[in-house]
Amino acid sequence: MSTYAARLPGGGSPSRQWSRGLVISVTALVVLAPLLLILYQSLLDAPFFDPAASAGVGAYRFIFDDPDFWSAAKNSCFIAVGMAVIAVPLGAALAFLMVRTDLPGQRWLEPMLLIPVFVSPMVLSFGYVVAAGPVGFYSVWFGDLFGGVPWNVYSLTSIAAIAGLTHVPHVYLYASAALKNLGSDVEEAARMSGASALRVALDVSLPMVMPALLYSAVLVFFLGFEIFGLALVLGDPEGHLVLATYLYKLTNKLGTPSYHLMAAVAVCIIAVTVPLVMLQRHLMKNAAKYVSVKGKAGRQRPLPLGAWRWLAAALIAGWLFLTVVVPLSGIALRSVVNYWGEGVVLADVLTLDHFRTVFGQPTLMRGIWNTVLIGVIGGGLAVACYTAIAFATHRQPDGWSRFVDYLVLVPRAVPGLLAGLAFLWVFLFIPFLSPLRSTIFAVWLAYTVVWLAYGLRLVSSSLLQVGAELEEAARSAGASRARASRDVTLPLIRHGLLASWLLVFMIFEREYSTAVYLLNPGTEVIGSLLVSLWATGGADMVAALSVINVVLVGIGLGVALRFGVKLHD
Amino acid sequence: MIKLNVDDLHLSYGSNDILKGVSMQLSRGEVVSLLGPSGSGKTTLLRAVAGLELPHRGTIRIDEQAVFDSDAGIEVPAERRNLGLVFQSYALWPHKTVFDNVAYGLKLRKVGHEAIAEKVVSALKNLGLGHLAERFPHQLSGGQQQRVAIARALVYNPPVILLDEPLSNLDAKMREEARAWLRELILNLQLSALVVTHDQNEAMAMSDRILLLSEGRIEQQGTPQEMYGNPRTLFCADFMGNNNRIEARVAERRDGAALLAGEGWQLWGQARGDNAGTSGTGMIRLERVRLADGPGENRLCLPLVTSMFLGDRWEYLFHEAGLRFRAYGEKPIAPGEHWIEVPRDDLWVF
Repeated sequence: MSTYAARLPGGGSPSRQWSRGLVISVTALVVLAPLLLILYQSLLDAPFFDPAASAGVGAYRFIFDDPDFWSAAKNSCFIAVGMAVIAVPLGAALAFLMVRTDLPGQRWLEPMLLIPVFVSPMVLSFGYVVAAGPVGFYSVWFGDLFGGVPWNVYSLTSIAAIAGLTHVPHVYLYASAALKNLGSDVEEAARMSGASALRVALDVSLPMVMPALLYSAVLVFFLGFEIFGLALVLGDPEGHLVLATYLYKLTNKLGTPSYHLMAAVAVCIIAVTVPLVMLQRHLMKNAAKYVSVKGKAGRQRPLPLGAWRWLAAALIAGWLFLTVVVPLSGIALRSVVNYWGEGVVLADVLTLDHFRTVFGQPTLMRGIWNTVLIGVIGGGLAVACYTAIAFATHRQPDGWSRFVDYLVLVPRAVPGLLAGLAFLWVFLFIPFLSPLRSTIFAVWLAYTVVWLAYGLRLVSSSLLQVGAELEEAARSAGASRARASRDVTLPLIRHGLLASWLLVFMIFEREYSTAVYLLNPGTEVIGSLLVSLWATGGADMVAALSVINVVLVGIGLGVALRFGVKLHD
Repeated sequence: MIKLNVDDLHLSYGSNDILKGVSMQLSRGEVVSLLGPSGSGKTTLLRAVAGLELPHRGTIRIDEQAVFDSDAGIEVPAERRNLGLVFQSYALWPHKTVFDNVAYGLKLRKVGHEAIAEKVVSALKNLGLGHLAERFPHQLSGGQQQRVAIARALVYNPPVILLDEPLSNLDAKMREEARAWLRELILNLQLSALVVTHDQNEAMAMSDRILLLSEGRIEQQGTPQEMYGNPRTLFCADFMGNNNRIEARVAERRDGAALLAGEGWQLWGQARGDNAGTSGTGMIRLERVRLADGPGENRLCLPLVTSMFLGDRWEYLFHEAGLRFRAYGEKPIAPGEHWIEVPRDDLWVF
């Protein structure tokens, strides 16, 4: 009946149409204005506030002549490809093991697998430096035992490998969802025809989840172009630039505000990401088509792995050790030692001074406080905004809803760093907004727009669980559309909204790149403080703040697990 | 007095025409069933009346008031049509108690607190739900949920109550009891009701008049007796009952009768519909086929394939070459050949 429901005639009251129009126009404004400003700035030959600025493609000419730009572009491609090559097969295998087999310890593995998604990449990369860098904890211990260390975390290959390993969960989420949707009857049919477990996986399951894998491959490739923190921290010592770090370093390159050059690089990045987002959208539609021919999703006996289950468990444990235990234990250790190096005895250098310093510095304390605030209150407000937008398009399949559909793709295609830059310009450009630039509101607005697509999907998926006939029943009992939404739909999605709030809280705690350019006295958040402290070499502070950040995310994760909030759809 | 008047209603989803010019009336105190196979447009028609679908041509009037008129550009939204709609899934609001579910329509109509309590309690009592007011929908059985859904649709006295497959979510045994209960309720309260169903027995038992829909058009309408005993089309004849169907050559036509003939047999029947060709379809209700004791007019000798025990009677299956007959009887019969009679007046030739 859902196709019928989708045709519910409008019949909204004028005030309803008016509020709907307002929601959609405000969304369009905050999404498109920053993007258009970037585009406009990239076509000037000086910063836009410079009266001498005139139109031209000089900015593009400059960066296209710069060999660093091309090397950064090449590195970005290398990392993106490397990530996809590593993350997709591992993620798919992980999904198969988790969903279809009798792998031991699935219950506690499930939340562990998602930790890399919720921990800030800044924290992770810093963790790798202090754990596995030339004088990292694990490097020193390994060197003591074997007389040398065979790895170098600063090489481009390492960066790609770390990026790949930390993005395995992204693939896992899509692949496991597809596998769960896939009816077990098609697999049972193959087993009845005489196929072994492995053959079933390769001949039936794999082809049927192929659309989901393809989709996640494009997603990971796309995320590869967005990589910032990892490349900033790990790429710096050997001078490996990626597009995002090239953009970030442009400021120092010329010594003057080179906004036009930054805008040109930003446009180049967006020129790559927009087609990728479009491709994802297309693949998503195809995948949905594929699912419609699925069989009956029944309860299924897990595939017995036999002796292999321990090997599989060991491989997963190894991956978890590399992507979660190494960086997080590194950062935790670093935060409680004075210094570290070869020959240092751990017990001699233990200290809590770093935390004392952090708690003693008003700027840092304000940053922590802001981070909590933006997660709790900002997250709640963001969910309220997402809900308003979701209601503006809910079961009204008209031109406006299609417009919003495309609109939310825009911020997805703009990496957080660029979005932060664009919002900085908006606050500089529009006079009556400039007082807001040094308030946390600026950061909140940027976060909310950057995570628009994510948040909207969370809210929409709970909206879609409310049967159309529940709303129709209210309509025929005499409730207007708005009244039906308020009395029936909203109370029914209350739990979904609370869960969304929690997830948005974690995402906002984790976010860092969006706030980098918006960092001002008053707008500090842990994420942007990490970037700026790292640039000035404050490793002690970085470690302590990272631990605090991980604890904040951990609290969110703990609450989510306690109340059984699904961490993904 | 005409409570509901639908005239020349057209509705399509994109290029897919669902309703192709449907007209119907519903008088006060009358129960009309919309009957048809899935995809015939019966639910769409009901939803268009409710205001949940948007037709592109035609008019819908409730109590003489146009709620939809394509020419005049009138489209009254669902909430202002003041109809009661009972959903197939019941669509009870899971976050409201039974009382609040039923009270909602009154609350929207700004009825005072005490009047609401009074009306809801009496509605629940009418439907035998008096003791369940504080329960939540998930704490009720399917049959109780259905009654709550009906109470919710009735409580504000809508001029017409619409029921979308009201019995289909109940199990087979409860369905027949609920059918009788619903018919009784409709008569007692003198409701004007439009009921969608795909089950012809349900339609005949519950309604004063049946509209048979096929592919977005009304195939035939009439009282249950007319629809069952005097179908004008093959589709209607086929849909309304359990039939034996005979595809054969029409050997002769005379005085409104037609002679179906095959290898070594011939049967006279009433000519129906506008078929004047040399081949036709014979159709006779199962219960009209009789066992006979010997040869005679309109009788056939066929081997028995099997007898099936149905509880209250037996069903026999005869099959030979192109002829296949099912018939009912009181007792089991011996294997072998039997004579059956196909009464001339009961065999319709389309």
